[in-house]
Amino acid sequence: MNNVVNNGALLSGKGLSKTYGDLTVVKDVSVSVKAGEFVCLVGKSGCGKTTLLSLLSGLERPTRGQVMLAGKDITSATEDELALFRRQNVGFIFQSFNLIPTLAAWENVALSLFPIAMKETEREQRALDLLEKMEMGHRTEHLPSALSGGEKQRVAIARALINRPKLLFADEPTGNLDSATGDAIMEILNRLHREEGVGILMVTHEVELAKTADRLIRMHDGEVIS
Amino acid sequence: MNLHYLMNELYYQKRRTLTAILGLSIGIALLIILNALSTAYRQAAQAPLKEIGADITVQRPGDVPKDLTGVVFPCSAVTIRDDQVKKIECLPGVRGVGKAVLLWVFDPSRAWIVLGVEQQNSIGPAVLRSAVTEGRYLEPGKLEALVEISYARQFGIKVGDTITMANTSFPVAGLVDASRAAKIAVANVYVPIEEAQKLAAASSQVQSVSPFSPSDVNLLFIKADQDKITDLASALRNIVDKKATIGTPDSFLKLLGSFFALSDKLTMAASLIAIIVAVLIAFKTMAGNIAERAREIGVLKAVGWTNHNVVSQLLAESVIQCFLAGLFGLLLAAIVAFGLSFMDVNIPIPWDMSPTPHFLPGGGDQIFKTLRLPVHIPWILACFGVLLSVVIGGATGAMLGRTISRIKPSEVLRHE
Repeated sequence: MNNVVNNGALLSGKGLSKTYGDLTVVKDVSVSVKAGEFVCLVGKSGCGKTTLLSLLSGLERPTRGQVMLAGKDITSATEDELALFRRQNVGFIFQSFNLIPTLAAWENVALSLFPIAMKETEREQRALDLLEKMEMGHRTEHLPSALSGGEKQRVAIARALINRPKLLFADEPTGNLDSATGDAIMEILNRLHREEGVGILMVTHEVELAKTADRLIRMHDGEVIS
Repeated sequence: MNLHYLMNELYYQKRRTLTAILGLSIGIALLIILNALSTAYRQAAQAPLKEIGADITVQRPGDVPKDLTGVVFPCSAVTIRDDQVKKIECLPGVRGVGKAVLLWVFDPSRAWIVLGVEQQNSIGPAVLRSAVTEGRYLEPGKLEALVEISYARQFGIKVGDTITMANTSFPVAGLVDASRAAKIAVANVYVPIEEAQKLAAASSQVQSVSPFSPSDVNLLFIKADQDKITDLASALRNIVDKKATIGTPDSFLKLLGSFFALSDKLTMAASLIAIIVAVLIAFKTMAGNIAERAREIGVLKAVGWTNHNVVSQLLAESVIQCFLAGLFGLLLAAIVAFGLSFMDVNIPIPWDMSPTPHFLPGGGDQIFKTLRLPVHIPWILACFGVLLSVVIGGATGAMLGRTISRIKPSEVLRHE
């Protein structure tokens, strides 16, 4: 078993495997992330990083193994329990932003608040505050099609933070950005980690980006190698 | 369900929204128009009978008289006995009976088509009262006649003149424009029914073909409950004659020969096809639209939307879209109905209801009742169309929403 487990972890995956047909993408991996820790999952393309991230975040169920997040075993949760759990505990940042094209920037940020019964003004204010923090206060009413790549990713980060998550899952957050914009996004993530103590588990294939992380987990062919 | 998200989705995805609305609205418009046309033809078919305030006409065919001299019955309308009339009046569903006597009078110098009418009965040819153009209508107890205006012009007959038919003199009380009143039960001269009955009873030609007493008639006009008309038609044949000519809205409808006039079952079948087409269009369009949004649904689930949240949102979108499609379909149908309402429909009058002897000039010509097709969309049909559209939207949205909500976010979000 590949073990990168810390005691008192906010997130821990034990003996995780994922198989698609005959192909085993993640092989008996155990990892953990402590509260407020910035962990980078690095490795070449196709080594199973994104699949491991999906298993750890509850987006996908493991073929074998167990994931504990904030003290709850999410591997045995139902689909709807998982959705509620994600809404309350984690945030996602994707490589291709995944903003809803028909919603303005602030509405995209407030997306996970839509199913919650609350005043529209309160929902909007929370989204606007976060956009302001992302230096996007002047672009709140714009549709994603009117935003640059860097701006879209700032909106996506704000969306991930709207429910004050314990942990952010970031899958190649700079993968679709030029280096300058990518650096700016990394600076935002570092600042969130440093100043607000947000835990981050980031997947990247660029080791350079991982230098600022508290800890590095290297993957190769579905296994954790260090 | 978030209304703002819903409205944005419909507004910004115009192509998707318009395709779905247009597709379904065509199906709904088709359904509404088919039913409106069917109703219009049905109403049109009632017109010849409605004109004379009746729902059913009854005649009994008989033999052709030996000689066409004096007073004779048309072979399409011979004696209906008084006792038969009394039985008919007692049939369930019969709300009133109008009687008339139709005669051909062949005098040496002129032929007359004479109709004996009940002056006070609103069922039957008494509706001529509204068609008097000169003089006045027949007054009870007076021996007098009304003359059809074109006939009067042809023979120079004026109000106040006296005409003599079968050796009986009738002062002319008025002139009537029968073409304004009706296409069936029309004649050259209208006299009180009692006078026509006397003429018929005294005619050896009539008696030789069809024994007739002064209380008998040869034309009946029946006002009946709409839902009993079909049953009454067969009961009337049983009383009068198996070969009796029973004129009903349905018999006129059959003569129209239009696809829309054929039957309720055909209209139902066509409507069902329209509904199936509407459902298929809605389903296919929305399935395509929702499939395009698989990634978006994945994002919603990733950020914490439950299956129920996703289904509610898609269901609401679908219902609103289909509601708009229903309204647009109704608008389309209203435009088409408006256009069709300028169309004329010719309802053929059966030869045996035509009073003119076929051997006289114009007697063999087919007579039509021509009227504007009364197409209109009843409120109940309009509401049904829109409601059906909403139901289709609800069912489609719920079904597709449930299917798409089962996707795993990781499946649609993994490929960056």
